[in-house]
Amino acid sequence: MGTPCHFALFDLQPSFRLDLDQLAVRYRELARAVHPDRFADADAREQRVALEKSASLNEAYQTLKNAPQRARYLLALSGPELPLEVTVHDPDFLMQQIQLREELEELQDADDIEGVLQFKRQLKVASDELNESFAVCWDDPARRDEAERLMRRMQFLDKLSHEVRQLEERLDD
Amino acid sequence: MALLQIAEPGQSPQPHQRRLAVGIDLGTTNSLVAAVRSGISEPLADAEGEVILPSAVRYHADRVEVGESAKGAASSDPFNTIVSVKRLMGRGLADVKQLGDQLPYRFVGGESQMPSIETVQGAKSPVEVSAEILKVLRQRAELTLGGELVGAVITVPAYFDEAQRQATKDAARVAGLNVLRLLNEPTAAAVAYGLDQQAEGVVAIYDLGGGTFDISILRLTSGVFEVMATGGDSALGGDDFDHAIASWIIEQAGLSVDIDPSAQRSLLEVACAAKEALTSNDVVEVVYQQWRGELSRAQFEALIEPMVARSLKACRRAVRDSGIELEEVGAVVMVGGSTRVPRVRQAVAEMFARQPLTDIDPDQVVAIGAAIQADTLAGNKRGDGEELLLLDVIPLSLGLETMGGLMEKVIPRNTTIPVARAQDFTTYKDGQTAMMVHVLQGERELISDCRSLARFELRGIPPMVAGAAKIRVTFQVDADGLLSVAARELGSGVEASIQVKPSYGLTDDQVAKMLQDSFSNAGDDKQARVLREQQVDAQRLLEAVEAALDADGERLLDRDERLAIDAQVELLRELINGSDGLALEQQTKRLTQVTDAFAARRLDSTVKAALAGRSLNEIEE
Repeated sequence: MGTPCHFALFDLQPSFRLDLDQLAVRYRELARAVHPDRFADADAREQRVALEKSASLNEAYQTLKNAPQRARYLLALSGPELPLEVTVHDPDFLMQQIQLREELEELQDADDIEGVLQFKRQLKVASDELNESFAVCWDDPARRDEAERLMRRMQFLDKLSHEVRQLEERLDD
Repeated sequence: MALLQIAEPGQSPQPHQRRLAVGIDLGTTNSLVAAVRSGISEPLADAEGEVILPSAVRYHADRVEVGESAKGAASSDPFNTIVSVKRLMGRGLADVKQLGDQLPYRFVGGESQMPSIETVQGAKSPVEVSAEILKVLRQRAELTLGGELVGAVITVPAYFDEAQRQATKDAARVAGLNVLRLLNEPTAAAVAYGLDQQAEGVVAIYDLGGGTFDISILRLTSGVFEVMATGGDSALGGDDFDHAIASWIIEQAGLSVDIDPSAQRSLLEVACAAKEALTSNDVVEVVYQQWRGELSRAQFEALIEPMVARSLKACRRAVRDSGIELEEVGAVVMVGGSTRVPRVRQAVAEMFARQPLTDIDPDQVVAIGAAIQADTLAGNKRGDGEELLLLDVIPLSLGLETMGGLMEKVIPRNTTIPVARAQDFTTYKDGQTAMMVHVLQGERELISDCRSLARFELRGIPPMVAGAAKIRVTFQVDADGLLSVAARELGSGVEASIQVKPSYGLTDDQVAKMLQDSFSNAGDDKQARVLREQQVDAQRLLEAVEAALDADGERLLDRDERLAIDAQVELLRELINGSDGLALEQQTKRLTQVTDAFAARRLDSTVKAALAGRSLNEIEE
């Protein structure tokens, strides 16, 4: 038996727009069925099967509930495998990136916790907008290249929000 | 057994015969055992009616003493009386040295293994010492419950690393316990609290014990306990409060820091008593040897403030990691004896802007929750219908050493377990035929700041130009939070794998020997015991297969498959009451193999049913 597609595992059609609450409900139902806790007493082979099924369920859930990962997975499903890091030819976005990073550095130097909160809110708005653009773009097969570019932007913002979390940690010291 | 459990989740073959399983809180200061009886989870008491067993072990030349009386001897016989052994579990000599002069023991053993403590009975490893505590709890449970235990859930601090978890599991094995699951302490507490209060939503568990601190953020949704993030400090606890007071006394009394082990023990006892008295008093009189002084609550609070602040910082990080805002936390539960300290409660209340809950005894809540999980895992059905499910996470990131001494994360912290993840690497030299895989745990970038878990070598890679080989390294973490790693060169199929056993952990042989020693000491007839276990296993398998055949045999098996299974069932039945253990074991294996495909099909059909939104019992009909 091969690995079923993450969407199929949840009995969903591949799509970017996803009801995350519903996905969580499904996840919990499926986890109940395959979690190793239900096989605590079973022999080694059955425990291994449960472990593997549970692990792939968790992997699928992690991928689908995170917007950039979901976008990337969708693109990979319908096209050639995508390298994780590429040089992006996206000058406008590049400018924005540089600006955002500089802003973040200034916040760090100024030890500005309130500013970081503000930055986080901005980042959230930008991510939401980007997700919406991707969703629209994804519905039109002719715009695949654009979808890929948007996905790279999503990945970048995701990485940036990770860095914001690390900054928060440092400022907490 | 899985066959059965799919048919009717959690129901035991004979509904009236509950399978005995317990939850054990193996604490730094105190340990407890609890069990579900008549639908209620409660701690089990000893003959004197005490539920708490102090985690103290005293070695005499001819016997071992555990509990209150052993604790009493800590200052008169410091070398042979071991307290707070949990702080040594899974630690190397370097870690132990860091705990430094806090410990009076004489350690033996080199850098490469877990240090042992020199006692009148010879060298004892922390695993063996812990096993003594577990043995007492196991005996108590078997006596109280009136039968042999199917198994136990042992709790560990959520922030325990791989080595500490493995050591705990080894201790349980040495004590003759079948470990159903290692369960994180805050998760256990959440279960006890959540089921008691029928809580839903986001809950924070603040667990400050004798030697460890954990913070876990969980989402509770109709019986599912989903850990969103966990954090903490596996070397922060009430013991440190005692040490802070002890240092203060030494300073005030103008004593030398260099005091003998016996005096050190009694100093710590004085410090601990002062700490406890300050829970209800504003000021206490402290008497140590010739010195006499006063310690006010405010002074005490100033002494422990850095530690309280450290715990709050871990809380903020866990909240950030769980991707929620502080305001979304709907309840805060206090766990562990050290949360009795008023300053701790106050600080937590201020941070979360709500009064923390202390409804369930903070000393007992972990064992109570563990017992509920143990009961479920043993296959006993819960009365209230809703099946319990715990979805836990790994507390620390797992990764590999890459070029330049850097740690590359393969599985980030707070990933839900079980999890399997692969990462591809390549060779960096022409003709390279071997690759070293160095497995690490931690959050820092430099490998020197992370904990080294294991190293192994993948050999026999066919010589190729640099960068041409494709080596896939797969990490798998099971539901106990334990890791195994495999490496494979994709072109040639060369493989190497390792069940991660930290270098200063125990080898399987060592554990087997300790286990054997404990059997011979107990005067058990090992062979008879083994045969009995095989018979129990075979009986369970038979019952499981029959129940599965009744439920799904017609739907999922063709005639030949059914006949093949029936034949193996018959053979096993013939052997089950005999005395040929080997034949019985082999036949049990054969029946397992022949039902392999059937079990997989049933699991798939369960998944489909879950998708269709039907309950499992419905598809049986």
